[in-house]
Amino acid sequence: MTDAQRPGGVPLAAETAAAAEAVTGPTREEKRPAGGRLRRGLRQFLLAIPLIALVVWTVAPFMVTTSVSFKEKGDVFSEPGLIPRDPTLDAYREVLSSESFTSSFVNSVVVGVGTTLLTLAIGVPAAYAFARFRFRGRHLLLLFTLLPRLVPSLGIMVPIYRLAVATGQLDKRTTLIIVYTGMLLPLAVWLMVGFFQQIPRDIEEAANVDGATLWTRLRYIVVPLAAPAMITIGVLAFREAWNEFTLVLVLTSTPGKRTLPFELYLMQGIEGLANFPAEAAFTLLTVLPFVLVYTRVERYVVAGLVSGSGK
Amino acid sequence: MTATTITRARRLIRRPDPGGNGGRDGNALIGHSKATPYIFSLPAILLVAAILGFPVIYGTWQSFFRAPSLGAPVEFVGFENYLDMFSGTEFWHALNRTAVFVFGSLILGTVLGLVFSFALFRVVGRLRFLRAVTVAPYIISNVAAAVMFRLLFNSQFGAVNQVIEFFGLDGLGWLSDPGLAMFVVIVTQVWTDLPLTILVLLGGLMTIDKSYLDAALVDGATGWTRARSLTIPLLTPQLVISTVWLSYSTLTGLGVVLAMTGGGPLLATQTLAMEMYTVAFRALEFNQALAIATFILILNAVLTLAYVGVARRYEYEQ
Repeated sequence: MTDAQRPGGVPLAAETAAAAEAVTGPTREEKRPAGGRLRRGLRQFLLAIPLIALVVWTVAPFMVTTSVSFKEKGDVFSEPGLIPRDPTLDAYREVLSSESFTSSFVNSVVVGVGTTLLTLAIGVPAAYAFARFRFRGRHLLLLFTLLPRLVPSLGIMVPIYRLAVATGQLDKRTTLIIVYTGMLLPLAVWLMVGFFQQIPRDIEEAANVDGATLWTRLRYIVVPLAAPAMITIGVLAFREAWNEFTLVLVLTSTPGKRTLPFELYLMQGIEGLANFPAEAAFTLLTVLPFVLVYTRVERYVVAGLVSGSGK
Repeated sequence: MTATTITRARRLIRRPDPGGNGGRDGNALIGHSKATPYIFSLPAILLVAAILGFPVIYGTWQSFFRAPSLGAPVEFVGFENYLDMFSGTEFWHALNRTAVFVFGSLILGTVLGLVFSFALFRVVGRLRFLRAVTVAPYIISNVAAAVMFRLLFNSQFGAVNQVIEFFGLDGLGWLSDPGLAMFVVIVTQVWTDLPLTILVLLGGLMTIDKSYLDAALVDGATGWTRARSLTIPLLTPQLVISTVWLSYSTLTGLGVVLAMTGGGPLLATQTLAMEMYTVAFRALEFNQALAIATFILILNAVLTLAYVGVARRYEYEQ
C-alpha cells in the first residue's frame, strides 16, 4: 500500500538513499592528494547537491501527505514526526466509506474514460484527414482547429457556464466529457497530424493496389501504426479529465455530480477543525489510480508533455 | 518518386478511378469520396469552435454589455465595464498581486529549472530513473498539490516549520502571513509547472553541439563561466518556450490559488484570475468578470510578444 502510493510505484525513500549514496559515495574515497581525482570528486559532490534537492523537492509533498494519512486525527498535532507512531488505516476507511469520495470517484472514472474515447474518436479521423487528404480549405480548417489551443480554461469559464445554464446542461457528466474533449482536440489533432505525416504514404498506396479500401487501411494499417501516438493522447486526455478543476467547479453544483478534485477542494473547508488525515488520504487516493497507470505509460506522458510545450 | 509513379500507374490500370477523385487532384489514395475528408474533420472543427472559439468571442462581445440590475436583460454599454474595472481599487490590487505571482513564479521556476536540468543532464546509468521521478508533479491535480503543500507548510505541524524549529528558530505562519502566503502559493505553482520546464530545458541541453563546450573548455572556461556565457545563451529558444508557458500558466491559473488560499489572507493572493472568479461567481456580475477575462487574455498576448522580443534582442547582442 505504502509503496504503491509513491510516484512511480517504487519505494522512493530507498531510491533517495540509493541516489544519494551512488552520487556521494565516490567522494569519500577521494582523500588522496591526486589533483585530478580530487577535482573530479568535488565535481561529483557538487552535482549531488542539486540532485538531492530535486528529489526532496519532488518527493517531500508526497512523503508528508503519506505520513499524515496514516495518523490519528489528534496525533497530527501531538506527533508531528514523519513516521507515525501507531500507523492506522482509519483515515482511508473513513474516506472510502464516504459518499463524497465514492460518487466523485465513479464520476471521475466515467468522465476520464469518456473524454479519452471521445477525444480519440473525433481527433484521430480529423488528424488523418488533415494529414492524408488534399481537400479545399484544409489549411484554413486546420488553423481553425489548432489556433484555439491558445485559449485558457479561465477565458471560457464564464461563457461556458452561462451557456450550460441557458441550455440546461449543468450537473451532467456528458457536459464535462464534451467540454474536456473540445479543450483537448487542438492538442490531439496537432500531435496526430505530425504522426500520420511520418507514416510513409507508400504503405497505404501499396495496400491500395491490393484493393484495400479506406476502412480496411484505417483498420489494419493506420491505427496499428499510430498506436503509440494514440496512447499518448489517451493518457493526456485522461489526465486532463481526471485533474481538471476550474471548469468542473462551475459546471457542477450538486453532491454526487462532482469529480474528485472538486470534492477534495470542498473537503478542506467543511469542518471547523480540518480533518487532516482524511484530507491526506483523499488526496493520495485521488492520485493513486493515475500513479499506477503512470508507471506503465511514463514515456508516453513524457512524450505528450514535451510536445504540449509549444502552447 | 519513380516507385510512386509506378504504383500509381498500376493502380490506374487495375481500378480506374473508383473513389470519384482518385488521381485527379493528385490524391494517390482511393476508396473514399470527395466528402470523406470533410466528414472526418468536421466533428473536431465544430467541437473546438463550440467549446473554445465561440465562448471566447461571445465572452469578449458580452464584456460590452451589462445588466442594469441583477437578473435583468443586458444592455449595450460600450467600454463602461472596462472603465469601471480600471477605476476600481480591486483591479489594481489584483494586477499588483498578479505581477508578483507571475514574475515570482518565473524567477523561481527558471532558476530551479536550470539547476535541475543541468544536474539531470549529467546524470547517467542507474540514476536515470530520476528523470521519471521529476515528471511526477505533472500527473497531480492543482487541488491535490495545494492540499499537499498546505500540509507541508502547516504552521503547527508542517515539515517546513519543524525543520526551522530544529535549528532553534520560531516557526512561521506561512499561510496566515500575507507576505509569506504569496511565497507559498508561488512555490506550489512552480512545483506543478516545473516538470515541463525541466524537460524542455533538458531537451535543449541535449541538442547543444558538444564541440562548443569542448572549445570553451580548451579556452579555460569552467563551471559557472561556461554556463553563463555559453550554455544559457544557447538555451535561449528553450528558455523562451518555458517562460511563455510558465507565464501563461500562472497568469491564467486559478486552481492552485483558489484551493490553497482562496485569495487570502487579507487579499494577499487575490490575483486577476481570482478577481475574475470572485466577481463572476460570488458577486454574480458576469459581464464585469468578462471584462477582466478579456483583459487577462490581452495581457497574456502582450507578455508573450514581450518575451519573444526580449529574447530576439538578446540574441542580436550576442
